[in-house]
Amino acid sequence: MIKVQGTRRAFAAVVTSVLLSGLLRPAMAADETIRLGAILPLTGPGAVVGTQEMRGIQFAMDAANAKGGVQGHKIEVIFEDNQAKPDVSVLSFNKLVDLQKVPMIFTGYSGPSLAMAPLATRKKILMINAGAQSDKLTKASPYLVNTLPSTGDEVAVMAKYLVQQGKKKAAVLFENDAAGIGGRDDFLELFPKAGGTILAQEAVQFGQTDYRPALLKLAAAKPDVLYVVITAGMVPLVQQLKQMNPDFLVAGTTFMADPAAIADPASNGIIHTQVQIDAPPELSAAFKAKYGDDMDFFARQYYNAAQIMLTVIDKVLSEKKPVTGENLHDTLFAIRKFQGLIPMEFKSNTATVPIGINKMENGKDVTLLQVTAE
Amino acid sequence: MVWLQLLVNGLVTGSALGVVAISFALIYATTKIFHVAHAGVYTLAGYLAWSLVSHGVPDVLALLLAILCCTALGALIQHQLYARLERRRATHLVVLIASLGALAVIQNVIAAVYSSNILQFPVPWSSRVVTVGTLRLNWAQILTVVLSVLAYAGTMWFAHRTILGKQIRAVASNPFLAEITRLRPQRIYVIVVAIGSAIVALPGVLVPLDLGLQPYGGVTPLLTATIAMIAGGVGSITGAFVLAVGIAVLQNLSLLVIPGEWSIGVTFFIFVIFMLFRPTGLFAKAR
Amino acid sequence: MDFLYSYIILAEVYVLLGLSTNLLVGIAGIFSVSQAAVFGVGAYLVAHFLMAESLGFIPALAIAAVACIVLNILVTLPALRVSGDYFVVTSFGIQLLATAVFTNWTNATGGANGLPGIPPPDVFGLPIESTGQFVILCSVAMAIGGLAFWLLMRAPFGRLLRAIREDELAVAAAGKNVLRAKVSAAALAGAFAGSAGGFYATFLSFVDPSSFDLDASILLLTMVVVGGARTLAGSVLGPFLLLALPQVLTLVDIPTSIAAAMRQLIYGVLLILFMLFRPQGLAGEKL
Repeated sequence: MIKVQGTRRAFAAVVTSVLLSGLLRPAMAADETIRLGAILPLTGPGAVVGTQEMRGIQFAMDAANAKGGVQGHKIEVIFEDNQAKPDVSVLSFNKLVDLQKVPMIFTGYSGPSLAMAPLATRKKILMINAGAQSDKLTKASPYLVNTLPSTGDEVAVMAKYLVQQGKKKAAVLFENDAAGIGGRDDFLELFPKAGGTILAQEAVQFGQTDYRPALLKLAAAKPDVLYVVITAGMVPLVQQLKQMNPDFLVAGTTFMADPAAIADPASNGIIHTQVQIDAPPELSAAFKAKYGDDMDFFARQYYNAAQIMLTVIDKVLSEKKPVTGENLHDTLFAIRKFQGLIPMEFKSNTATVPIGINKMENGKDVTLLQVTAE
Repeated sequence: MVWLQLLVNGLVTGSALGVVAISFALIYATTKIFHVAHAGVYTLAGYLAWSLVSHGVPDVLALLLAILCCTALGALIQHQLYARLERRRATHLVVLIASLGALAVIQNVIAAVYSSNILQFPVPWSSRVVTVGTLRLNWAQILTVVLSVLAYAGTMWFAHRTILGKQIRAVASNPFLAEITRLRPQRIYVIVVAIGSAIVALPGVLVPLDLGLQPYGGVTPLLTATIAMIAGGVGSITGAFVLAVGIAVLQNLSLLVIPGEWSIGVTFFIFVIFMLFRPTGLFAKAR
Repeated sequence: MDFLYSYIILAEVYVLLGLSTNLLVGIAGIFSVSQAAVFGVGAYLVAHFLMAESLGFIPALAIAAVACIVLNILVTLPALRVSGDYFVVTSFGIQLLATAVFTNWTNATGGANGLPGIPPPDVFGLPIESTGQFVILCSVAMAIGGLAFWLLMRAPFGRLLRAIREDELAVAAAGKNVLRAKVSAAALAGAFAGSAGGFYATFLSFVDPSSFDLDASILLLTMVVVGGARTLAGSVLGPFLLLALPQVLTLVDIPTSIAAAMRQLIYGVLLILFMLFRPQGLAGEKL
């Protein structure tokens, strides 16, 4: 008997808790606050990036709210931790949409975004991705909007540049996840097209910071250039590269531009494509004062994405339309051109922004030239 | 000459892994507890040392203080968690799950305090490079090998030449008999886990000195070390150390023949096959 | 309502997995931490058949179940050769190996990119598209699974399995075929895990290796332990509770920057407390 009661009580606890988590927040929704969602990895290995993305969004919203919000409405962003996992993301998506009635959701990471994309289409919820660059994201859903170019755009720019510089034999070091593999596939396709040859490729696991075996193997192929698609652990990478004293050029994507790596003297001479997004110094300083960390690429991207959303919401409100996913989506494409941290235009679901080729020199990241990818 | 540098790199990572393996072997052989939370102790050591160094504590002192804290943490886990479970006659599975819980607690305290970013030690000397012939090593790597081999030798000396070491081995081989001879196994267990934690703090500081700190980064080294321990024969300190070095060297050299993304998979595949045919390990004594 | 529905669907999928894990760990006494690997194979197989449009959902599910029966028997074979902690490590090895295969066998699994766009399931031609219909489908599946489990525990076979867990030697001495009983339990566990994979893949319309990794296996083990081992009620309760836990914890007011780590931390604390004070879980039997 005791067992049965225990079971029943526990069931009651589950039901109560689900109802509680469901009912408490909408009960508070009577005020004028506009609620948005964000589904990012806040625990686990992906949290390195996820936390910066969260800060970028929150920083923008705090600033807007401090000025009285958007047309008198305060903006609140509800953050959900998806641990970079697709199933948790789907659960979080439904939770935010059903319970908090959010019209739009910030996402990052390719896997989770792809898993949520069909839901976004079905429920007409605008999803803004400002971090993941998998090529599949560009066509995953009409409601999934990317505020940064896909890896393919960056790779195309770099492949062309490398061949022009006479660096025609390449080896590839990539991270064994959606982002890294996507970049590798693009490079394997686009570099030969531009006139180069691929000599070797080698994978490392996400968060694995011992690159030495892979680097040694790739160096043995005697490439002119080592192309790197890795999203985390840049400082150990540049230090281990320096340790090898390589006789080849090292090139990468925007992922390379970790401020700590740029500051490290070991990174001298590394070139990379850079999705142009600069924060004014006073903004960076305010960010650093608030969080104790530098406003890195991802923080800037999500700050910028949050700015875009604020602009769109402002327009929707001024047209006296309800703030729904559909209206936000349509208004975003009606505005089309945004002046956030950078000028950006939405000709498709993926923003067209300038891509630069940068070189790391004496602790600075210097832009060599700038192109706009089509 | 790629293979030579790969071999040497394997020896470096392997020696650190070997110390993790002997520390785990010491605990496992004595207490029979599958102490997964050991991965948390390993991770914490690096973060403690990082904090101390960042606050201007001299490098050597920071290492010693980190070892001291880990010793205390290990004793605490044994005394407050495993000993209690033992008194309740918990099964192995229950202890294993409690240990997983302790691991989650330690990792997430670290993540909450330090964030999940990869942290680098603010010690410029560690990445300075030394060239020997065609070989290129940095100071962190050299220190890792030297201190790891010393830790191995020290553990061997301790287990075989000191009275406490002999008592531990007595409890490990037969806790009931040890109980009769008034060795008080529970007291010995606390001491063993404390010592094991002190030992694991060494690679816990040295490895991140070279490769950076991550809160969730302790599990794979621990699992690999466990495999080394089992393949080396539980109870054999030398077996655990040698096999850990062997595994690391193989993982490095295997890159010459197979793509790197398969190296972990291949390691575990060999291990599973190995378990089917020689489950008592390579170095196990006849029982 | 979709949130509640998707919570119920995922929980029901995990109930099927919980039954699978319970059969192996709770009843047959095989400490497996690689059930997520078998789950994954089921998911990938069903995804493959549906995306190739070569089979309907039910036949695909049947094939996945059969394949997972065979696979699970193979995976648990080492347990018949090595016991206890050795098998836990072997099982860890199998899990890591499976993750490597899921991640690197790109042609079959889509690799780390995963497989997006898996079509919704159908029941003999009748498409299941809305979340509401899916709840019904999954509930039926869970009911069938639960009933099978319940009947089994009351059948002579169930009693034989219990007896083996209490005293394997005595059962063998009484002339019963211990090996066959264990293999049968493993087979049934495989069928449960494989079909759970099918529901999971079609519900999310997306699979990637991260859903079938070591963490997933450990979460599964935790669900069974918190709910309670060896009972139907425990296998149902665990998944429902543990999937609700993070949602309940969002109600606690803590700073966002550390909230996530705090949640995981509380989760670890709960694990420890359960193991210390209620190892039989909420509605289970002695573990």
